[in-house]
Amino acid sequence: MMALKAAQFVLLVLSAPLVRGIVARLKAALQRRRGASIWRPYADLGKLFRKEDIVPPSASWLFRAVPRLAFAFTLAAAAFVPLLISGALLSFTGDFILLVYLLAFARFLLLLGAFAGGSSFGGMGASREAMVSVLGEFPLLMSLIAIAVISKSTSLVPIVAWTATQNFFDISAVHVLAFAALIIVAIAETGRIPVDNPSTHLELTMLHEAMVLEYSGPSLALIEWTQAIKLNLMIALLIGLFLPWGIALGAGALAVAISMALYLLKLLLAAGALALLESSSAKLRMYAVPEFLGIASGLSVLAIVFTVISKR
Amino acid sequence: MLVAFDALFCLLVIGPLISCLGGIGRARVSWVHFGVAMVTAGALVCGAGVALAAWCRGLPFTLDLSHFSPFTFLLSIDRLSGFFLFLVCAVSLPAVAYSLPYIGRHYGKTRAAWYWALLPLFLLSMIIVVTSATAFAFFAGWELMTVFSTALIFLEGDSEERRRDIFLYLLTMQGGAALVISAFMLFAPLAPSLDFASIRSAAGVMGGPLKAAVFLLAFCGFGAKAGLIPLHVWLPRAHPIAPTPVSALMSGIMLKTAVYAFLRFVFDFLSGGPAWGGYVVLAAGAISAVLGILYALFETDLKRLLAYSSIENVGIIYLAMGAAMVCLQNRLPAFAALALLAALMHTLNHAIFKNLLFLGAGVIHSATKTLQLNDLGGLLKLMPSTGIVFLVGCVSIAGLPLLNGFAGEWIAFQSFLAGGLLPSPVAQVALPLAAGALALTGALAAACFVNLYGVVFLGRPRNPEIAALPKESAAMLLPVAALAIACVLIGIVPMMVIRPLWSLVETLIPGGNFASISGIGSSLQTVALVVLVAAAGAAAIGLVTRAAVRRSPTWGCGLPHLTARMQYTATSFSKPLRMVFAWAYRSERKLEVSPAERPYFPTAVSYHSRRTTSYEKTLYRPIINSILAAAQQLRRVQTGNIQLYLLYIFLALVFMLLFMRFR
Repeated sequence: MMALKAAQFVLLVLSAPLVRGIVARLKAALQRRRGASIWRPYADLGKLFRKEDIVPPSASWLFRAVPRLAFAFTLAAAAFVPLLISGALLSFTGDFILLVYLLAFARFLLLLGAFAGGSSFGGMGASREAMVSVLGEFPLLMSLIAIAVISKSTSLVPIVAWTATQNFFDISAVHVLAFAALIIVAIAETGRIPVDNPSTHLELTMLHEAMVLEYSGPSLALIEWTQAIKLNLMIALLIGLFLPWGIALGAGALAVAISMALYLLKLLLAAGALALLESSSAKLRMYAVPEFLGIASGLSVLAIVFTVISKR
Repeated sequence: MLVAFDALFCLLVIGPLISCLGGIGRARVSWVHFGVAMVTAGALVCGAGVALAAWCRGLPFTLDLSHFSPFTFLLSIDRLSGFFLFLVCAVSLPAVAYSLPYIGRHYGKTRAAWYWALLPLFLLSMIIVVTSATAFAFFAGWELMTVFSTALIFLEGDSEERRRDIFLYLLTMQGGAALVISAFMLFAPLAPSLDFASIRSAAGVMGGPLKAAVFLLAFCGFGAKAGLIPLHVWLPRAHPIAPTPVSALMSGIMLKTAVYAFLRFVFDFLSGGPAWGGYVVLAAGAISAVLGILYALFETDLKRLLAYSSIENVGIIYLAMGAAMVCLQNRLPAFAALALLAALMHTLNHAIFKNLLFLGAGVIHSATKTLQLNDLGGLLKLMPSTGIVFLVGCVSIAGLPLLNGFAGEWIAFQSFLAGGLLPSPVAQVALPLAAGALALTGALAAACFVNLYGVVFLGRPRNPEIAALPKESAAMLLPVAALAIACVLIGIVPMMVIRPLWSLVETLIPGGNFASISGIGSSLQTVALVVLVAAAGAAAIGLVTRAAVRRSPTWGCGLPHLTARMQYTATSFSKPLRMVFAWAYRSERKLEVSPAERPYFPTAVSYHSRRTTSYEKTLYRPIINSILAAAQQLRRVQTGNIQLYLLYIFLALVFMLLFMRFR
């Protein structure tokens, strides 16, 4: 069991660039382009890791420490997520709160890194990213708490295991509302369209990219990888909480194989949905983002209210 | 141990005497102050020892000082007092140590003598507050605390503006004290001696409405001291203008005496308060936490920012206390105990990191002579040790994992999860919403302190004078570093405070389940290990691929070079959030371009933004105006004519005679 848990953690971390590659490829297909290979992000990382790390003259030691620490905190957060089996490398009471705060720590560090660069772009990106993350934190925790309350458990793995044993057609309004809220938050947190465009480098529109603009070489590679892990983690979290059916509840070889095949299918669906969303919608004006996240907050509050109603 | 307790008081009184004599005599000033500091520190160590024995072992102490005073003056330490006595004694030690170099550098002989005379007395008054066992002793300490802190604030200067701020402070404190006296007096008919033991038994036989009145009076009276919004107006004015170590003590510890007193009233005397009380406390906590940190985000003065963040943290403590009351009313003691644990833990944590940040601000001020965020920058390279220590404080106060701020908030979140188990539908929605408020507060605090740290310590100095700083003073830095170490230790091994705190919680709310939190310590250590390994791994990747590191100027978008003034300032960083939360600020902006006739080719642009949400104007001014109007009306009676006054006396006499005759 321990080996399986470790394997799914490694899979989550190592497959992160692949998920990015798949999304990019699907987007290309939707736009009638041929697109790059789905393995392209790995090549990018390899290239960046071999390039030199350029540090601005005003930067202190913190500048280079930030990507490494942010990567470490994101990795620690990934250790809580069940992927193929209903178990995770780390699992204890209240772990989903810790997960949210580990991601918050990673972002805290990246914001500091942006200031360390000493240019105006870093501050601009940090300021915008701070706005999005502040507004995303409330719906993120509220919807997780709504799910935790409805499943009567306080840790991710039991929540996922509980959901997997429920009848899909019995699903409560809480799940629907929390799902909608979490999708919006996931888009905002991972910096995808319509909140942020990961492929833009225009100062008027950059959020995350402006924040990490001064980074290069291995530091940039780690930031890119961190961002990819975060996307993979969010997708895994959404699948685990709202579509876990088929996840291996035991450690049997067949169950795990089925779980893996089904997970791949769900992942492709999620990637397809993301590609479709990104190709069909435009990036929001920055001051429309609070309204977008406000919808998520409203939905998550409703989810909490429905935990009371649906129990009666 | 009783000897140690006696020694605590004797030493704290001897200290000021030495200082006064030293001020008169001709001894070398620095040695006198060193002596006072040593005596005070010795007293605090004694106090911390007594406190630990009472808090962890449950050894009760009682000290009867009635023969020194005109009323029953009983001091006694149970577990609750023990914890707060430890807070006062142990956490103020670094501030006392820090005072030596700070006062030596900033104050002349007379003011230093005053400072060293007043500081031990200020500490003594706080010790009396948390150890008193009679209403009179409590009140003596409570009032002395206000008096001595005010005197210490005056040491920094007494300009017209400072007098106004101090007046507001005194006014709020006296108003709060009036409410607290009334709360005690409501017990008087049932417990005439007003010692805590008889108050406790009197509360048991008290009627519901009277209990509710006591609760409300205590809530408002102590809320004024704790700085709950809207009773907070004095706090961001009085705290920043005190000498730095006193600011630290006021924010870190003095506010906590209000938390102590509120806990004493609600959980000890009233055993949980009225049924709706929990929701009132929850709402007050949520409002103070969210608005406190929003106002902090607006500030560009380091000490004012920290003062507003104290309001936020007091809000978090009240949020957890409210959850404890709600759970207790709904007969769920296991979660009530958890919430109370979170409140106490955050009380300790906030004392530690707020002291750290205020003292750190003092270090910055001593070196750079400014506390304006937008004038600073790049300090991490110039003051590397201060930078690391301050970073620990910022991460802790932002409530991020592996530091002490998170440990407390995590327990609070876990107690809010009880919402689903409660029978009352209101509580089922209220507790998760409280969790949401805490999440929003945490996110805003992270943004606020990223802003603070990024602008002050990172990037490049915005003021060329800062580039040449004196060397960091180890004497000032060591006490701050000790606090930083405490932050890290409690953050990774929280069990070392959870265990003794749990034994305290059990005396107030029996029926908790220690097993539900016993995993917290080991889980945080596992996460710390994972993070450490992963960070080492990430650093090792660079070593394996042997990527070079090169310093090269940042591309200036075609400009010859970037200047320090092109960096984002604290004001520009918080701009998007200020726009989103505009309802909380209602800011007023003023943009001046000169020359005005050529707006597209300006030589100077000035931008000014001001928060207009003013509790003084919208809430207090109408109250004050109506009081003044009533006073105007009363003046008709008060003419100054002596015959009229004689008539009043005569009429009063006639009335009394008639009253006595026909009653």
